[in-house]
Amino acid sequence: MPTNAIEIKDLRFFYGREEVLKGVNLQVPEGSIFGFLGRNGAGKTTTIKLLLGLLKPKAGTCRVRQIDPQEDEIAVRRLVGYMAEDQQMYGWMRIEQIVKWVESFYPAWDDKVTNQLLDMLELPLKSKVKTLSKGQNSRLALLLALGHRPEVVILDDPTLGLDPIARKDFLRHVIDLLQSNGVTVFFSSHLLYEIEPVADHIAILDKGVIIKTGKTDQLRENIRKFILIPKPGNDFGRISGLLDVVKAGNSVSLTVEDCDDAKLTIIKQMANNSVQETALNLDEIFEAYVIGNRGKSGSV
Amino acid sequence: MAIFIRIEPSSSVPIYRQIIDQIKYQVVTGVLKEGDRVPSVRDLAAKLAVNQNTILKVYNELCRENVLKIERGDGTYVSSNKRSMPVVERKKAVANVLREAAVQAIHLEISIEQAKELLEKEYKIIKSAKNKTE
Repeated sequence: MPTNAIEIKDLRFFYGREEVLKGVNLQVPEGSIFGFLGRNGAGKTTTIKLLLGLLKPKAGTCRVRQIDPQEDEIAVRRLVGYMAEDQQMYGWMRIEQIVKWVESFYPAWDDKVTNQLLDMLELPLKSKVKTLSKGQNSRLALLLALGHRPEVVILDDPTLGLDPIARKDFLRHVIDLLQSNGVTVFFSSHLLYEIEPVADHIAILDKGVIIKTGKTDQLRENIRKFILIPKPGNDFGRISGLLDVVKAGNSVSLTVEDCDDAKLTIIKQMANNSVQETALNLDEIFEAYVIGNRGKSGSV
Repeated sequence: MAIFIRIEPSSSVPIYRQIIDQIKYQVVTGVLKEGDRVPSVRDLAAKLAVNQNTILKVYNELCRENVLKIERGDGTYVSSNKRSMPVVERKKAVANVLREAAVQAIHLEISIEQAKELLEKEYKIIKSAKNKTE
């Protein structure tokens, strides 16, 4: 029976008068690597802080392994491995000191696992935190999040500021250390091309609302882009699932979600020529969802 | 046996398809030989920083097409028998790829004779690469 490691229902949150989460709904399946995608300011970090009980929601609920962080924040923190966005750690501490210090918060801390991780992540025990590179810093934050062998891991933009090699290296560790052991990983990013290889599930958050969620491989299959020369007076708005309309010269490109044969027939009827289909890369898919021009009635 | 695979993240070709194409290419050029053992799902996933389910999907698809075979409890190997798919199916798979090539050829005003010549040349290059590795 598949269950969800994280469940969010109609979650709402305000900063002052500004509503930053407008009813977020999300299910993160147990054992998945879940990519939580959105532009800067979409509400990703706020959602994560609510999951950990660091903020109090205006309305709605979240549960991590059935536990409500508003009711038992400590239980959630013991269950979860959390790595904050651009995590700050005491620069004057040596790695061995900071490990001991974080260890003191967790009754279930595992020294054996920690030593394996130190070795695998190539972290120099005697080095001071302030002397570490960005990549080492991220790996240390990961180590501190994993030392108590959490079954759910929440990473807030973990690869922010890493160069491409350090980024790939970090993601490799996520797959090898966590997915191999059945750990659920929920991680946020604003880079779709980074999420795609790693995540088996994806949600796109935009302006406080989840606008798309599903299995990663289906994301590509469900969205198609066509180029055609339209007959005059077409109402593209009647194509359901239309995400983006772009006019270039006398031709038009249409990006359409869940495009079946019936929709394709409608599109073909609108064209004055044969309809060409072009492939989309992931950034184009993200753009279509997030900033797509849905097309006003009859015009472009 | 280590295999070299390069993933192009900004490509419009899905990742599992990129990996399938590269493994198939290495098999037809003889870089991967019959009976060679390929990495485990876990190892390849970690090496490429790709989700394990994606690699699983790749291996399942390649087994279905008889490029690879799974020996129970022992690992995954390059298969010796490539002809379990009926010829109709195999032709269909090739036709799909050639359609794209045909569109491109027509756009660029390459005649059918020139296109045939190009296809023959590609065949020869791959076959000679295979002979060199043998």
